[in-house]
Amino acid sequence: MTNKNLWQKFIDRFTRISIKIGNQIHLRSLRDAFAMIMPLFILAGLGVLINNVFFPLFLKGASLTNFQLFGNLIVNGTLNIAGLIIAPVVGYCLARNRNYKNALGAAIVSLAGLIVVMPVTLQALPINGKKAVDISGFLSYSNIGVTGMFAGIIVGLIAAELFIKLSKIEKIKINLGENVPPAVSESFLTLIPTIAVISLLAIISAILFVGFHTDLIKLITTLIQEPLRRVNTSLPGFLLIYSVGNLLFGFGIHQAVINGTLLDPVLLINTNKNMHAFAAGDHVPYIITSVFRDTFGMMGGTGSTICLLVATFLFSRIKASREVTKLSIVPGIFNINEPVIYGYPIVFNIPLLIPFVLTPIISLLIAYYATVLGLMNRTVVLVPWTTPPLINGFLATGGDWRAVVVQLLSFIVGVLFYIPFMKISEQVLLKQNQ
Amino acid sequence: MPTKNIMLCCVAGMSTSLLVNKMKKAATELEKDVVIFATSVSGFDQELASRQVDCVMLGPQVSYMEKDFKEKLTDKNIPLSVINMQDYGMMNGEKVLLQAYELMGGE
Repeated sequence: MTNKNLWQKFIDRFTRISIKIGNQIHLRSLRDAFAMIMPLFILAGLGVLINNVFFPLFLKGASLTNFQLFGNLIVNGTLNIAGLIIAPVVGYCLARNRNYKNALGAAIVSLAGLIVVMPVTLQALPINGKKAVDISGFLSYSNIGVTGMFAGIIVGLIAAELFIKLSKIEKIKINLGENVPPAVSESFLTLIPTIAVISLLAIISAILFVGFHTDLIKLITTLIQEPLRRVNTSLPGFLLIYSVGNLLFGFGIHQAVINGTLLDPVLLINTNKNMHAFAAGDHVPYIITSVFRDTFGMMGGTGSTICLLVATFLFSRIKASREVTKLSIVPGIFNINEPVIYGYPIVFNIPLLIPFVLTPIISLLIAYYATVLGLMNRTVVLVPWTTPPLINGFLATGGDWRAVVVQLLSFIVGVLFYIPFMKISEQVLLKQNQ
Repeated sequence: MPTKNIMLCCVAGMSTSLLVNKMKKAATELEKDVVIFATSVSGFDQELASRQVDCVMLGPQVSYMEKDFKEKLTDKNIPLSVINMQDYGMMNGEKVLLQAYELMGGE
């Protein structure tokens, strides 16, 4: 009895803390912002796929270069401005989540704020040149693109937050009296907050340039983004956070609460950097990316439940389970598995919670070491998470069939791993029904 | 009886859209005049601002948004409820539809 109480207490506390983290307003705004701009990154994946896998099949030399301009331009409009886009969008989402009416105003301040903290001089390599030269009057793709994503997020959030806070202070509102049309006074309403926020960022930037010969983008990237990314996308860090998120789903709360906030931003940076490197023909830097997680760690949805469905289909003798399986298989092919999670059910079902959390770890480890050993390519294309297993592995690795073999292998191991736990779960169920 | 508008909401609006289909089927069988649609948590505000909504049903996986959304709905007097886990899992369109009607005050 006390054991049961302890377990209940653990579940309560665990879900409460997770929700608190996941619902924290800045993290939530970040999650919303990512959802909003995701189509662009998927488009980037498509562009990279066409450029680097499809075109080379039948084109060579100069004509290949000409055709590849298509994909390169798409990369310019997506990956190369990732930071520039995320800043106003995250500012907009924050304003919306704070129930602040002028969300677009917040977005504008976020965007202007990001540009203000950009370095004024850059080092650039002339085409065909060998020596870098100092230039001014330009923004660089590296600062406003994938590398600058975190800077975009942080500056966007800070600028919007300050703007919203200041806008709500009655004392600094410019009051024009009743005879002035409301639209006119509305435009003055945001004037002082805008001036204050942008000026503050400009002052900080100027001090950093002049006094320390550095800039905020560089500081944020090296002091915040890189340490966080390194810890959260290291193999143990990644598996730990991901499993905590999955366990949360086992208690009925969507794993995105944890993963969408603690993992997705940094994993997406890895994905985008891989896509970028692959598009440019450079060395692909990372094994662990968001698409690596989706492809190998959630086949059929969170918990790789397609393995459970197949295990049930093959070995279950309980009619209800087989019914749910029938209902769940088609959505499962597209990695949607709420019917399994709530209908089978996996939620609060201790025997099944174990493989629900462990199967993805096993699959991810198999895929990780297969990549380390050079048995398959790294993931270089962002495919939508609803792409069916096997197809997603092929596409994500830029058309590497060996990734499909690795997926098949993980799938079989997953089915075998689920079977004993499914049997225990059924026995428990039978006993309860007696 | 005017047409009722039921909004379902989950993380990405994917699995609720599955339930929407089942609910529509049930609505036809029960001869209910109803519009049912699914949206994502991040699309909630926009949908709410742009179309008529008479009742909101949350997927159990986003039950943590209940309080926040309820605050946004009180002014408009729109009822909200979290869908029962079992009904959600079994994609029981009829039960969820009836739950929604109960929320909107019978009929």
